[in-house]
Amino acid sequence: MSKINENFAIPGDFLGTSEEFLSTNGTYKDKGNIYAACTGIVKIDTKDRSISVVPQTGMPPIPKVGDIVVGRVSDIKSSVVLVDIARIKGQEDREIATLKQGAIHISNIKDAYVKELGYEFGFQDIVRAKVIDDKTLRLSTDNKSLGVIKAICSRCRVGLKRKDDKLECPKCGRIETRKIADDYGSGSI
Amino acid sequence: MSDKPNKLIENGKRLDGRNLDELRPIKMEVGVLKRADGSCYMELGGNKAIAAVYGPREVHPRHLQEATQVIIRYRYDMASFSVKERKRPGPDRRSIEISKVSREALAPVILKEYFPRSVIDIFVEILQADAGTRTVGINASSVALADAGIPMRGIVSSCAVGKVDGEIVLDLTGQEDNYGDADMPIAMTQDGKITLLQMDGNLTKEEFARAIELAKKGCKQIYEVQRSALISKYEGVSNV
Repeated sequence: MSKINENFAIPGDFLGTSEEFLSTNGTYKDKGNIYAACTGIVKIDTKDRSISVVPQTGMPPIPKVGDIVVGRVSDIKSSVVLVDIARIKGQEDREIATLKQGAIHISNIKDAYVKELGYEFGFQDIVRAKVIDDKTLRLSTDNKSLGVIKAICSRCRVGLKRKDDKLECPKCGRIETRKIADDYGSGSI
Repeated sequence: MSDKPNKLIENGKRLDGRNLDELRPIKMEVGVLKRADGSCYMELGGNKAIAAVYGPREVHPRHLQEATQVIIRYRYDMASFSVKERKRPGPDRRSIEISKVSREALAPVILKEYFPRSVIDIFVEILQADAGTRTVGINASSVALADAGIPMRGIVSSCAVGKVDGEIVLDLTGQEDNYGDADMPIAMTQDGKITLLQMDGNLTKEEFARAIELAKKGCKQIYEVQRSALISKYEGVSNV
């Protein structure tokens, strides 16, 4: 860490001018002055002259690149799966503040050829995915631990049980395929 | 209500022993509700209020959402036991108006464009009332917003000024409000920008100017309480 000055700020505290610092996270600029926008510790990075406030309060969850999210498949198109994101892992107790609909492109499902999306995801499946673009909320399931964590039978709507690398319906015996996460059906998100 | 006293001010002191420019004792606590995203409890003399903030979260009904910014909903509610005569619970004409002006008092400080298509819900519950409940509600919810981590331009502080027995006084009590000549709740940011100003009764131009100056002093004191409440709650915590 570079040399950093510490002190505590609450919203509206004057931190400096835009000639002195580059205003970054947790701050805002008004008429050339920089003020704190949240409650936390003021950090000044003397290397790039940037100033930020590291919030000490809970913050509204916003998906960032690299975050693991959990959601439900709301639509399957020809080359993309749409997911309604419910929670970000690590911030389960608070609803996502902004965009909630993510998309998994066919090329980001797994490190193999995907013939058709219907073999990888089903409507209303619960999916664990990683955020790879936080502007447009593009997601990826290209990892052993990512993919479907709960699926239902497309014929009788019963939860599917894992059978080797496929899924079987306990009611009708139908076999379905999915891009499943390695802990499918364990109940943990 | 109690009978009208002969004098509301005697020898420069008010009925409760305060000076003309003195606030009632304040108590403030941050983060009192576990389920809310942000919360604050505040006491101002005989007023007791609790504020809870939820969100930003999805807007229901959907047609209310705005594509470019967050919308803010504010609900001011008085508990049925908050006043001497039982208050019929639920929103009424008065509390709907207070909700509207309080929302507009807080909206200018919230950085709304950070959370498009979302809503911030603020709930204020008055547990005990003794004049100036809307100012208590605004003070508490502004701290609750900061507790919820919602980015803001500043903290809103609010207090009432009024005219009692011909004198301009700060922070009226129930009695002073009932038998006084004017009551004026004011809310402002810490740099003195006024976001709420209502008036009941009459003030001359000079009295009005003096009242505003007195309200500024009062809001400054309340701001210091809000500030120390937030700092004492979060200074020790380390999330770095």
